[in-house]
Amino acid sequence: MGKKMTLIHLNPGDKAKVIGFSTGHERFKSHGLGPWSKRKHRMGMGLARRLQEMGLIPGSVVEVIRNMPIGPVEISVMGTHLAIGRNIASRIYVEKI
Amino acid sequence: MNKKLYTIALAGNANVGKSVIFNQLTGGNQIIGNWPGKTVEKAEGLIEQEGIKIHVVDLPGIYSLSTYSEEEIVSREFIAKEKPDAVINVVDASSLERNLFFTLQLIELESPLIIALNQYDIMENKGLSIDFEMLSNLLGIPVVPTIAVRNKGLKALFEKSKEVIKNTKKVKPILYGKEVEEKINILTSVIQKEIDTFYPPRFIAIKLLENDTSIRAIIKNPDIIALAEKLKKGLIKIHGESPETVIISERYTIASRIAGQVTKKKGKAKINIGDNIDKIALNKITGYIILLGLMLLIFYGVFKFGSYFSELLGTSFELLKPIFIQLPLPPLVNRLLWNGFMIGIIAGITIVLPYIAPFYLILALLEDSGYLARIAFLTDNVMHKLGLHGKAFMPLIEGFGCTVPAVLGTRIMERDRDRFIAAILATLVPCSARTVILLGLVAVFLGPIYAIIIYALTFILIYILGRLLNRYIKGSPTGLVMEMPHYRKPVPKIILRQTWVRLKDFVYFAFPIIIAANIVMEIFTELNWVVPIANFFKPVMTNWLGLPPLAGITFLFGILRKELTLIMLSALYHTSNFAEILTPRQIFIFGFVTMIYIPCVATIAVFKREFGWKRATAVVIGEFLGAIVLGGILNQALRIFMP
Ligand SMILES: Nc1nc2c(ncn2[C@@H]2O[C@H](COP(=O)(O)OP(=O)(O)OP(=O)(O)O)[C@@H](O)[C@H]2O)c(=O)[nH]1
Ligand SMILES: [Mg+2]
Repeated sequence: MGKKMTLIHLNPGDKAKVIGFSTGHERFKSHGLGPWSKRKHRMGMGLARRLQEMGLIPGSVVEVIRNMPIGPVEISVMGTHLAIGRNIASRIYVEKI
Repeated sequence: MNKKLYTIALAGNANVGKSVIFNQLTGGNQIIGNWPGKTVEKAEGLIEQEGIKIHVVDLPGIYSLSTYSEEEIVSREFIAKEKPDAVINVVDASSLERNLFFTLQLIELESPLIIALNQYDIMENKGLSIDFEMLSNLLGIPVVPTIAVRNKGLKALFEKSKEVIKNTKKVKPILYGKEVEEKINILTSVIQKEIDTFYPPRFIAIKLLENDTSIRAIIKNPDIIALAEKLKKGLIKIHGESPETVIISERYTIASRIAGQVTKKKGKAKINIGDNIDKIALNKITGYIILLGLMLLIFYGVFKFGSYFSELLGTSFELLKPIFIQLPLPPLVNRLLWNGFMIGIIAGITIVLPYIAPFYLILALLEDSGYLARIAFLTDNVMHKLGLHGKAFMPLIEGFGCTVPAVLGTRIMERDRDRFIAAILATLVPCSARTVILLGLVAVFLGPIYAIIIYALTFILIYILGRLLNRYIKGSPTGLVMEMPHYRKPVPKIILRQTWVRLKDFVYFAFPIIIAANIVMEIFTELNWVVPIANFFKPVMTNWLGLPPLAGITFLFGILRKELTLIMLSALYHTSNFAEILTPRQIFIFGFVTMIYIPCVATIAVFKREFGWKRATAVVIGEFLGAIVLGGILNQALRIFMP
């Protein structure tokens, strides 16, 4: 794993294991993130918890259903489909399997 | 059971069918739709049976008892504090794992539980079957399979709930892994001695280990906090993850294990049409084409239908006039009766109903099919520019029906800031009353394209305002996290009911206002007050906006309800052929100003309730000034094209 991979780097059909969430101040310029990427972004505790409660627990496997070029990412996890805004998706680290 | 009043609460994840069950049990009128987060306030209904009264409470959907957005707090507080006599945990049988995650927490809260295994039909379509007796044994809770939309299993559910009320035996806890359980026990035993709250000690212990800030805030004893911190460190050491991750993940492990044990593959799954629809409906190109096409189709369909019936009804009612005029009554009474009362009723029926009835029907179809959530998905990116996310689109779409539920619906936004922005924008979304003006006045007398232009102008305004608000209101926006609902074949009964619930509001609530306004106007005419009042508005109305002075009066009435601007116009001039009284430019400006000038009183009232006087006043004044300024500028600019 060269660079850190996040949900937005995956293609439809890809399966990946969740590794963790960015809670720091990393910025993502590429992948059509739009103006938000310029702002300091930090995934609040509340959000990280919510994602885990929706099934995105470190170690769990998700499948990407759709990855809009500038829109949200749709994944399948715990038997349901979840739409995740691009910003949040760009802060969910995964390992492709 | 003795004679007291019992309470049953409906709790569960979003979009599982709680409100359908509520409506079926109590005959209530909760809004139902196929996207998560419709119910944002608790609703109550009463059942009286064999001399006992049972309060049924419908709660907002909730994913966890560590709450995240505002409407979820409502649910948690209700279950924990009000201690209902029974909690019906509505569970989506087609995604058992996710739903059990919440069930496990309800067990921790020691609520008297019963499970409604709802959407049983959808689960079967997926080619699955659930051994619900085994599920019941594993959890120690009664389980009743139900198909709420077809009223199946609900009777059994209600009977079982009554048994749960009678039977006060505690549900035994579901155990975590050894290390976690050890820590929970240490903490629980201390809490048991030290603290007395409405939360059970074991629940507090778990939430403290989970880093739940709101539970932590109610613990006053620093020793307990210190102990919890120490135990959490222990967990981090063993698992190498944060304690909440450890607990959430163990909880999911339990949920998966149970779901796996009770679920069997049975036959083949029907091909999932939804996934195929989404390949086109959510495609990055065709998705947007379909969205735009659908919007235009709806607009045009409602316009055609509405204008046809409006005219038909209008001419039929004209036939009544001679009969009323000849009634043997004093002339004054006669004029009040016809010009005030009858014209009011006729205006409501001919100008408003033909447009809003089909509109509400289509709205219900959109809501129940699941397409609404797809719109949220497609527009998430645009919403981001407004400092919102896709979920905000859902209250905004509600706003096409009526602004009041739209403002309330913004509660699904996770933060106050986002909510406020969404609510301001929601007041500008053309509600059905404003659509009536656009279709009944602008589209009919100027042409549909002009109505579309006004729509477009309004959306541009919303967009610009959103960007500005986003820039100047402090804080950064959150993003979208939304469970995508499956498409559903709309159930006719539910669609019609939903349409009727909204129409009923119009008939019972708006009609009296329309009639009263017409009578008041007729009295003004009798007293010769109309011209002096109109003259008062003249400088702004005529000199700046280029409208007839009488338009000022109609705008005044329009604050009560937006349709009244048009209805009063027809009442003042005794005609509904508006081309006779307004020039094309005036029609355009009139339509535009009506769209934005002030939210109606009902909206102002909820806005005040939700956000306080200060913010409500700011919005009212802001929109009023905005409408006058923009309307005037537009008027001056349009001189070139429309003399
Ligand atoms: N096929 C099927 N559809 C159902 C069933 N129960 C509910 N629905 C549909 O599921 C959707 C959601 O129902 P609601 O009652 O609004 O859900 P809710 O749990 O109140 O949702 P929130 O208020 O958003 O938390 C609606 O489109 C219903 O028509 C069922 O048993 N079978
Ligand atoms: Mg509901």
